[in-house]
Amino acid sequence: MKTKLPIAIAFLSGLAMVAVFILNPEKVGDMEGELLQWTTVIGGFTLLLGVVSIVRVNWRPVVRRETGWLNNAALILSVAVMAIPSVLPVSWSPLFGTDGGSIYDWFFINLSAPMMATMFAMLAFYVASAAFRAFRARNAEATLLLVTATIVMLWRVPVGEGLFVAINPRLPNLINTYVMGGVNVAVQRGIIIGAALGAAATSLRIMLGIERTYMGKT
Amino acid sequence: MGFWQRVSQLDRRWIYLAVALAVIFPLLVPMKMKLGITPEARQLYEAIEALPDSSVVMLTFDYYPSTVAETRPMSIAALHQMFRKNLKVITMTTIPLGGPSIADRTMREMAELYHKTYGVDYVNLGFKANYTAVLLGMGSSIESIYPSDQYGTPLAKLPLMQTVKNYDQISFIFIVADNGIVDNWISIVNAQFSKPMGAGVTAVMAPKFYSYVQAKQMTGLLGGMKGAAEYEMLVNKPAMALIGMDSQSMAHLLIIGFVIAGNVAYFMTRKKKESNG
Repeated sequence: MKTKLPIAIAFLSGLAMVAVFILNPEKVGDMEGELLQWTTVIGGFTLLLGVVSIVRVNWRPVVRRETGWLNNAALILSVAVMAIPSVLPVSWSPLFGTDGGSIYDWFFINLSAPMMATMFAMLAFYVASAAFRAFRARNAEATLLLVTATIVMLWRVPVGEGLFVAINPRLPNLINTYVMGGVNVAVQRGIIIGAALGAAATSLRIMLGIERTYMGKT
Repeated sequence: MGFWQRVSQLDRRWIYLAVALAVIFPLLVPMKMKLGITPEARQLYEAIEALPDSSVVMLTFDYYPSTVAETRPMSIAALHQMFRKNLKVITMTTIPLGGPSIADRTMREMAELYHKTYGVDYVNLGFKANYTAVLLGMGSSIESIYPSDQYGTPLAKLPLMQTVKNYDQISFIFIVADNGIVDNWISIVNAQFSKPMGAGVTAVMAPKFYSYVQAKQMTGLLGGMKGAAEYEMLVNKPAMALIGMDSQSMAHLLIIGFVIAGNVAYFMTRKKKESNG
């Protein structure tokens, strides 16, 4: 029952959405709208589940004083400080909720956003280091990739664009047309079509109960 | 140890220092280099310019704070154009962490600049979980997905939303994103509801979306900080993206220099090893 019921729900839900897409909406009514509302509500519960899960996972090391428990405690404290004031009613205090001037907003603007931006910005350092150490023209394919990457990197910035214009004023447009709009698009289309076929196959596997990893089973 | 061997074993901290200088120096001493505008950015700009005044457009804030350097200038430049043209703007986000805050802050700043009234000239729908259902559901009824806006006001009480029921009343969708949500906007909203749309995405994502532009599923495309800088030029509001292009120029040149130096050092040391037997 534990397995059959979720598979039946997945099958019927998937079938309903496919049917709504194919059949005349007047005949099936607003079944699609109803189902999508359910999905949105379930989506909201998954966010709550995520909060409960992260607190549970990090609570145990704190209680047991495991190695690095201070990091876990900092995480729980951060969740509490950001989440609790954000869900309390604004009518109690303008510091609650998520509007500008709230506790959540202050922490988000002054801590969360700069930390996330910093993490992302650090990629520039790693990319430069990796480019120096690993980006080698070891064979024909790697050389082709390296040359193309260099051309595109130059084309994407004013200094490189200026250089190309000095060689031939049409060069930036030619790169856009033939490298980005030609070779790149051909490859991207292949990837997109492959991914779409893969998504369709996975959906079918879920509906037929072959793919069960969403139930925590393999 | 030979010169090239020393180069190949360069301490990474020197590389980090060089990157830091390449990024910081142009911010202190702007070089103001000339920037060309790609056809994809111009198409997007012209599609919005072609809309009649007071048309309703949707602008999404589908990005995390980590990529605001690339994406937020796109949102700001787009809002300059939209508010200048008196378009009615509906915003939303599919990003729970930061999306609502970025949208709220940006919309307030820009609305104040152009003296726009909330609920009449623009509406912020905020975030709702499960983006596939959200994008699909708004095709039949926005109110069924968003019963209230970001601030808890029922949509029925907002004058703008009394005339906008679903995608039929929205003339154009401008997606600003740093993730795969753009695919869903195209496969769900463009393909099923035939809504014209354009996107501003991060530089690493941009190559993927050229195929959608060619297939005319997307009207135009802004790629990374350069795309944002191009749009700032098009709306004649030079700001952070144009300033940032100098740093990006130097960083790209530096990385290309590292690639060349790394390869020369690699081949020179390999040649030496082979000749030594």
